[in-house]
Amino acid sequence: MVSITREFAPPFKLIAPYFIIGTLFYVLSNFLLFGIDIVQISSSQDLYIISWVHLFLLGFVMMIIFGAMAQLIPVVLEKGHFSIDFYYIVYPLFSLGIGMMAYGFIHSHLILSFGGGIVLIAMFIFSLETFLTLKNVEKFDVVTISVMISNIFLIIGVIVGFVMALTFAGFLGTDVTALLKAHVYMIIGGYVLITIMSFSYVLIPMFGLSHGFSKKPLHVAVGMQSFAVIVVFFSALFDSEFFSKTGYFFSFLSVLIYFYLIYTIDKTRARKQNDMYIISLLIGFIFFVLSMIFGGLYIMVGDETYALLCGWLLFVGFFGFLISGHLYKIVPFLVWYERFSPLVGKEKVPMLGDMVPTKSANFQIYFTTIGIILYSFALFYQNSDLQMAAASFLSIGALFLFFNLMFMIRFK
Amino acid sequence: MMYSKEEIFKAVSTVIDPEVGFNLVELGLIYDGECDSEGNVKVTMTLSTKACPLHQLIIQWVEEAVLRELPNATNAEALVVWEPEWNITMASNEVKDKLEGKM
Repeated sequence: MVSITREFAPPFKLIAPYFIIGTLFYVLSNFLLFGIDIVQISSSQDLYIISWVHLFLLGFVMMIIFGAMAQLIPVVLEKGHFSIDFYYIVYPLFSLGIGMMAYGFIHSHLILSFGGGIVLIAMFIFSLETFLTLKNVEKFDVVTISVMISNIFLIIGVIVGFVMALTFAGFLGTDVTALLKAHVYMIIGGYVLITIMSFSYVLIPMFGLSHGFSKKPLHVAVGMQSFAVIVVFFSALFDSEFFSKTGYFFSFLSVLIYFYLIYTIDKTRARKQNDMYIISLLIGFIFFVLSMIFGGLYIMVGDETYALLCGWLLFVGFFGFLISGHLYKIVPFLVWYERFSPLVGKEKVPMLGDMVPTKSANFQIYFTTIGIILYSFALFYQNSDLQMAAASFLSIGALFLFFNLMFMIRFK
Repeated sequence: MMYSKEEIFKAVSTVIDPEVGFNLVELGLIYDGECDSEGNVKVTMTLSTKACPLHQLIIQWVEEAVLRELPNATNAEALVVWEPEWNITMASNEVKDKLEGKM
């Protein structure tokens, strides 16, 4: 009897808290959309908005990414974790820090700085484990290098954010406006986007059984995005509009090349059925394209509404659907591995697809999509009636996601 | 030789990929199977991707299936190779049609 090694599938009890807490943050952030003063909204630097963005991006996006990394790092690096136990420390610290930050932005900048410090420690632990895992990798390819680069950007971005938090609290006297661009670009462009690019290259073909596409677009996209992040970072430090626009331009090119990569993967996809994963990805990519269009308009026209729409569609539309889509693949796999794989050959076991509540997942997709579109119009027209309708759709969609997650976790 | 290639393939065909719902033989993942006079069975196979998180489990299932389905087999070894690289043309027509949503 060959023993089962857990190298490629960490215990579900470790990952489950990340997914459950992350989805609860998602539900909370969707309900908080009712509270945004959309009529008075004039700037993406409004403290309620900044608080909401951190709750959504750290609480939902990063929390789920970190949890998923416990399983995906060995998959993409083809190497087991240095020590999976590090992940047991990250989520409690991270949850506490995020809660303090979200509260602190609005009510107490002192609490914000402490929360920021705790988040920084959690991210350091996460990145340290990733780097120690990378140390054992023998073959460095573009995916491995992307994991390394993105984690470096993450650490720098979080340090910049922490400096900003200390400034808010009155401990330092830095120029927060200048640092904001560096902070946002390091985390969103440097960590989240590069991670998405490199993991897409491994995961989308894996689930879609795609073969024979070129790796070159990924090389170019990651290279350009990294260059763009560095350029924007320095443009923020030295207040250079020229470097800033150069960075945006290369970032935009990088995204176009990434779209081309996705197109080639999809073209060579053997598995043509559109399950929840593919549908979520498709909707997410449409929102990504719209987000880029509004981003371009903001750079050309300078109207803050376009920046808000760009961020909204990127975060909630693209990141949101990309993550929920992956939950419909990763959670059934981990639960199946834990609960059903020992029964293979002994009794009938379900297929992974059987574990997804299809009807309810469809409702989650419908409600969320309608909610995102309506909220976009609400932001554009600064219309509070539309906002209430949109927030209702989004909150119901978020509840569906939470119940779907629990259904998959409890599947027997 | 105690078991033919066909018999070994039939034994391995009891292993189902839980993600796509097809058995490994009809997916075209099993390249070869041989058995010596002492009942040692060797299965040469591949996986649809190097990053397959079920890598180790699938090897285990193949070896267990051989020992379970072929009573005179004394030992089973599944060897994973990456050349030739798997692609969908290696799968059976039924699998291809189902994956393309034609059935």
